[in-house]
Amino acid sequence: MSARARIARPPDLVVPVLLLWALGSPPAWSDEPANDVREGLALYISQQCWQCHGYEGQGGVAGVRLAPTRLPYEAFARLVRFTNLMPAYSPKVLGDEQLRLIYAYVRSIPEPPALEEIPELDFD
Amino acid sequence: MKPDKQPHSAPSDREEPARVNRREFVSSAVAAGLAAAGAGAAGTASARQAAGDAQAPGALPPTAAQEAMESEIPDGYTAGQAREYFVSNPGSDFMLDVIRRLGLEYIATNPGSSFRGLQESIVNYGGNQAPELLTCVHEEQAVAMAHGYYKVNGKPMGVLCHGTVGLQHAAMAVYNAWCDRAPMMLLAGNHLDAAERRAGVEWSHSAQDCVRVIRDYIKWDDMPVSLQHYAESMARGLKIAMTPPAGPVAVVLDGHLQEAEAGEQDLGPIAVSLNRPPAGDEAAVAEAARMLLEAESPVIVADLMARDQEGVERLVALAEALQAPVVNQFGRMNFPNTHYLSQGATAVAQADVVLGLELFDVWGVINTVRDRVHRDSVRKARPDARVISIGSNDLFTKSNYQNFQRFYPSDLSIAGDAQATLPLLTEAVLSGMSPARRAGNSAREARLREAHSLARGQALDDARYGWNAIPVSTARLYAELWQVAKDRDWALVSDDGAQSRWARRLWPIDRHYRYIGRSGGAGLGYGAPAAVGAALAHRPEGRFAINVQKDGDMMYTPGAFWTAAYHGIPLLTVTHNNQGYHQEYMHLQRMAARRQRGIESSWRVGNELRNPDIDLAGIARATGVWAEGPVLDPADLGPALARAAEVVDGGEPAFVDVRCQPR
Ligand code: HEC
Ligand SMILES: Cc1ncc(C[n+]2csc(CCOP(=O)(O)OP(=O)(O)O)c2C)c(N)n1
Ligand SMILES: [Mg+2]
Repeated sequence: MSARARIARPPDLVVPVLLLWALGSPPAWSDEPANDVREGLALYISQQCWQCHGYEGQGGVAGVRLAPTRLPYEAFARLVRFTNLMPAYSPKVLGDEQLRLIYAYVRSIPEPPALEEIPELDFD
Repeated sequence: MKPDKQPHSAPSDREEPARVNRREFVSSAVAAGLAAAGAGAAGTASARQAAGDAQAPGALPPTAAQEAMESEIPDGYTAGQAREYFVSNPGSDFMLDVIRRLGLEYIATNPGSSFRGLQESIVNYGGNQAPELLTCVHEEQAVAMAHGYYKVNGKPMGVLCHGTVGLQHAAMAVYNAWCDRAPMMLLAGNHLDAAERRAGVEWSHSAQDCVRVIRDYIKWDDMPVSLQHYAESMARGLKIAMTPPAGPVAVVLDGHLQEAEAGEQDLGPIAVSLNRPPAGDEAAVAEAARMLLEAESPVIVADLMARDQEGVERLVALAEALQAPVVNQFGRMNFPNTHYLSQGATAVAQADVVLGLELFDVWGVINTVRDRVHRDSVRKARPDARVISIGSNDLFTKSNYQNFQRFYPSDLSIAGDAQATLPLLTEAVLSGMSPARRAGNSAREARLREAHSLARGQALDDARYGWNAIPVSTARLYAELWQVAKDRDWALVSDDGAQSRWARRLWPIDRHYRYIGRSGGAGLGYGAPAAVGAALAHRPEGRFAINVQKDGDMMYTPGAFWTAAYHGIPLLTVTHNNQGYHQEYMHLQRMAARRQRGIESSWRVGNELRNPDIDLAGIARATGVWAEGPVLDPADLGPALARAAEVVDGGEPAFVDVRCQPR
């Protein structure tokens, strides 16, 4: 087990998130996340953003990388409502306030390690 | 290892020059067989058997008593009694002689009484060598093994299915093979003569037309009514199966023909006789070369193209001559992704001429249908882009199943096998190239080298995201796997489509055998058995076969792992276990979003493979395979893979269950 997996998380964060989350852990924030980030994570899970964008917004064939996002909220929101390939989320299923919280979560996802710090990605 | 069986002393009439003594093994013909016909290097029998492992699934040579019984009336029996009880020259021995002459090295099977005669011939008369039976626990598994095996070494396998029920089980895997142009010889037991059928099950397992259940997606079939008829149909079937577009064929083995006395049979005219693949028309090839040379930005797109390394090299030659980007759709490993001309699919958007090589879907290269309420078509290519298509699709097709995709009116269509046509096209391109066009090549090269290296950098950068995520990111899965692959002669025997194509993006796929392509018909239950079949084909070459296994796909045919353990087939399986039918989650979400209902609480229904969680490692272990997992934390993955790789190095299958991000 890595050190990360052993880190005890505050129960109020772990319990609701793990209930929603298939099996795994939230991102390794360095600081205690704000409330809107926690709620945003719960919504990111329940609204199924993870399905195509990955739990940490890393993206893949089914959806582009979301995190870290350079988009301002308005642009982010517009892309969720008026999409090209992604299913459009109407305000009826995902309110503006909820989307704002999801945005807060996406913004909070920490930068991954630099390439130089990952020997497994050294293909030369 | 089983000693070569001595030729039987045969009655003199069998020694006439025009007749071939069917008791003589046609070993030289077998060895020459397919290899001579260009189907690739001959393999060897199971390493285990060669090592004389007593537990190996082989069979003993016939004893002297058995041999005597075959040719003489046993002591104490009258001739009439002997005829009543014994058969000295069963038809299925001759059937086996034909199979041997055609060079089939393996027959994947799940046993059934409708071919008990042939099974006995294979294990006793043939000593279970060339062909060797591969014991499968489901017919779908047997067919998918043959599918994977062919894609690695270009050799067709036999698949022996029980009448009716066996073919019914085989059907979906046959459909995958058909869509993926994988040839194989399907052999089905059946008992045609109703007056002879044993009561009960033999009736349930016989049909007037047992191949009907798969006829829409095989190239040809026959139900021979004599052994000579059978022999010719086998040779014909093999030829048809291997002719591009290649695909499965079926021959019905009548129970009576198998079990009754063969009488005198002639093996003489039976031989491997394959067609050379058809090359495209010369004038049309010249026109294609002109179009490509006049183009500003020609782009080559290849899908079910390269049969072997030769095909890859031919495409490299054409691409380099033109300095044109190649988009490999990876239906086959067509082009090294390490080559600077290997480019992403978006290259098509810039093309003024697109050259399609054995495309599964020509229309889909140029256009797309949007998954919206109104499924409108959108052109992806430039409006003025012209399309040249070279392929064997139209040389053989059927109407019911719609795998032929939407119609696209190519500007120049060349019916022919693309791999066979490439040398002519490259020659026409080189000889027609003006000095000005040639002079422009170095600028193209520089531009494309730059684009290739940018894409490579982008892939490595993208792989960082979610690096420490729990469950494991699909990029990390492949990066960790690379640590065990890189110092071995590796071959990926699964498709990485569901793992965000990380093998294609990260691994240097530089040879044909490194990558196997997809299932063809997207029928699930393909992954594990196709990987086992492919690993079997890699075994004589000592290659390290790797199967990235989706959890849902695995649950259809997990018995394939038992076959790998039983036959000592080295294969590293690592799961992409996202605990569900993830593809279908996404579809459900799309429907719910479109209907503005959302699926906050209902998304799992019908899609999750949790509660109870499936212990995939437990399943593998129960089939006799070394297994670990589930691995949840990416930090645990590397060591688990290293342990598994050692098991595989020892010649056995190994399995690591890894809980992963969905895509
Ligand atoms: C079924 C798959 C799917 C789901 C579920 C999904 N997305 Fe997407 N998303 C995509 C795809 C594919 C794109 C690529 C852009 C496009 O639509 O063409 C995308 C693009 C985006 C973009 C634009 C990113 C950019 O930089 O251009 C944002 C923002 C986004 N998604 C947010 C979300 C959020 C938030 C959710 C959950 C509420 C979500 N997505 C759910 C598939 C999905
Ligand atoms: C025989 C068959 N049944 C159903 C499907 C529909 N289907 C397509 S993808 C998919 C999910 C497969 O799950 P898994 O193999 O675990 O892959 P995942 O999408 O989860 O990565 C299903 C059920 C199919 N393609 N073939
Ligand atoms: Mg799955």
